[in-house]
Amino acid sequence: MNDIKVEQIDSCRWRIPRQGAMRTDGLVFASRQMMRDLRREKALEQVCNVATLPGIVGPSIAMPDIHWGYGFPIGGVAAFDENDGVVSPGGVGYDINCGVRLLRSGLSVEEVRPRIEALANELYRNIPSGVGSHRRDLKLSVPEERKVLKKGAAWAVENGFGSAEDLEHIEAGGAIEGADPGLLSDRALERGRNQLGTLGSGNHFLEIELVEEIGDEQAANLLGLFPGQVVVSIHTGSRGLGYQVCDDHLKLMQRAAKKYGIELPDRQLCCAPLSSPEGKEYLAAMAAAANFAFANRQLITAWVRESFEHVLSKGPSDLRISTIYDVCHNIAKFETHHYQGKKRRLCVHRKGATRAFPPGHPETPALYRSIGQPVLIPGDMGRYSYVLVGTEAGFGETFGSTCHGAGRVLSRQKAKKLARGRQIEAELAERGIIVRASSRATVAEEISEAYKDVLDVVSVVEQAGIGKIVARLKPLAVVKG
Amino acid sequence: MARFRLLEHTADIGIEAAGESLADLFQQTAFGLRQVITSSAISLQQERRVSITAEDREELLVNWLSELLYLFESELFLAAEIDIESIDERNLLARLRGEVVDPTKIDIEREVKAITYHQIKVEEHTDGWRAQVFVDL
Repeated sequence: MNDIKVEQIDSCRWRIPRQGAMRTDGLVFASRQMMRDLRREKALEQVCNVATLPGIVGPSIAMPDIHWGYGFPIGGVAAFDENDGVVSPGGVGYDINCGVRLLRSGLSVEEVRPRIEALANELYRNIPSGVGSHRRDLKLSVPEERKVLKKGAAWAVENGFGSAEDLEHIEAGGAIEGADPGLLSDRALERGRNQLGTLGSGNHFLEIELVEEIGDEQAANLLGLFPGQVVVSIHTGSRGLGYQVCDDHLKLMQRAAKKYGIELPDRQLCCAPLSSPEGKEYLAAMAAAANFAFANRQLITAWVRESFEHVLSKGPSDLRISTIYDVCHNIAKFETHHYQGKKRRLCVHRKGATRAFPPGHPETPALYRSIGQPVLIPGDMGRYSYVLVGTEAGFGETFGSTCHGAGRVLSRQKAKKLARGRQIEAELAERGIIVRASSRATVAEEISEAYKDVLDVVSVVEQAGIGKIVARLKPLAVVKG
Repeated sequence: MARFRLLEHTADIGIEAAGESLADLFQQTAFGLRQVITSSAISLQQERRVSITAEDREELLVNWLSELLYLFESELFLAAEIDIESIDERNLLARLRGEVVDPTKIDIEREVKAITYHQIKVEEHTDGWRAQVFVDL
């Protein structure tokens, strides 16, 4: 969309001045090269579309991993006034509370490398992934499922999956308040019952990683990270239950947008005032789906511990697998921010963006209060991922938000074409990365070349001051659906 | 002859379809969705009937494909033959013949999360009907 006017602010910031129906400017974090690529797709148009929504506070923001989504761009952040603003299911996405959890261990790469293949096999066997798979030993009744939706990760801990210490190191403590399971359709509940404790497919993954490089020693020490250490990342969300909640509310919001006279440039942006019954009901249903996702990652954490204990024949006190942090990157939440000198309660939508609260913020866990909230940024399966912390500057400029991943550059079909005739698993194995996946198509579509280099993304973030790099992680084993 | 094609999208996939009638068009979009999920052959062992309602034809398309997705997710049922028995802008009745598949035996290429309203089109042209719909992967 070359007709969108874009002004460069500095080496990593671009302004899309208010034009047409926009109520505010767009603010895009990107390098010059990224902006050149962005101009070839429709993501910037989507940044502008978000800027047309009522009650938006501050600019319509896009992170450097921005790419063309549906309605909102992926990598988008938008804050709305609690009285005049709106909430949009499309600004959260189908996979409500898709997120990342990082687990540290007391193991060094030397201890794990000889057993890495056995570990990959065990994780693949023990944690359901791909279409239609689930743990046969986890059967939920409807009343029990409602408890999951209210309590989130705490439900899993109460049922013997993990510890109270895990809960202290999850965004929002692993449960978003105000969840109302009664608002979920039978179909949403049905889809959830079979899919709790499953990884899913596509870009969701489970990775055993090695801490390759430390960028900030003081922060790494507090996070319990050291070079050569083995850690585990979990990337998944609310599965079919969340998709159904989004779907159900998109329908209700189509009607609501008409009812409240909200003009939409794209139907996928449908929304309702935060103060309306439709808006409140969506937020209560979204919270329930978010809690399902927290419980999902908590269950998988317990099975990761179990798998390591089994393969390495060590007990929990030897393995010392504990949660560093767990972040949401598809969510809308009420938060208090200072905007233009005034304290405001805002509903911040982050779609493919991560909360990154600064040092000293009351919602940052006590242990990390001096360094800021940990931010987990997965890259692609062939390169590396990053651990960052939030900054004061980011809190002021982006409502305490930063990027969420590498961001795709190739469509799935182009990626598949590029992978044709190649043995992707063998190529990765040669570079010391074991892959286990139920679908070969997934592996082809998820090749490194399909993604931006996540280093470019986090470099823009660091340069802009909206996040600070702490450590780089390299994959040793990847489990995919 | 397939009268649908899959559209490139950075993160997701679109389905573009054409048909002589609205019924024909909806049948083609369903074949497009199946192609996103798998290229494997599906046998005609079982039958399902679906009844869809909506406020307009775009929503009808989203609801129709969402229903097919739900049948796949809840029972692993994929349709190979689709007979649209009746259709107007707000209602659709169809008879599906297909198979409850075993995902360990056929290659499920992608898990489709949902059918989106993003840039959705259901349009009548002088030479027939055309539709465009994006799915979330």
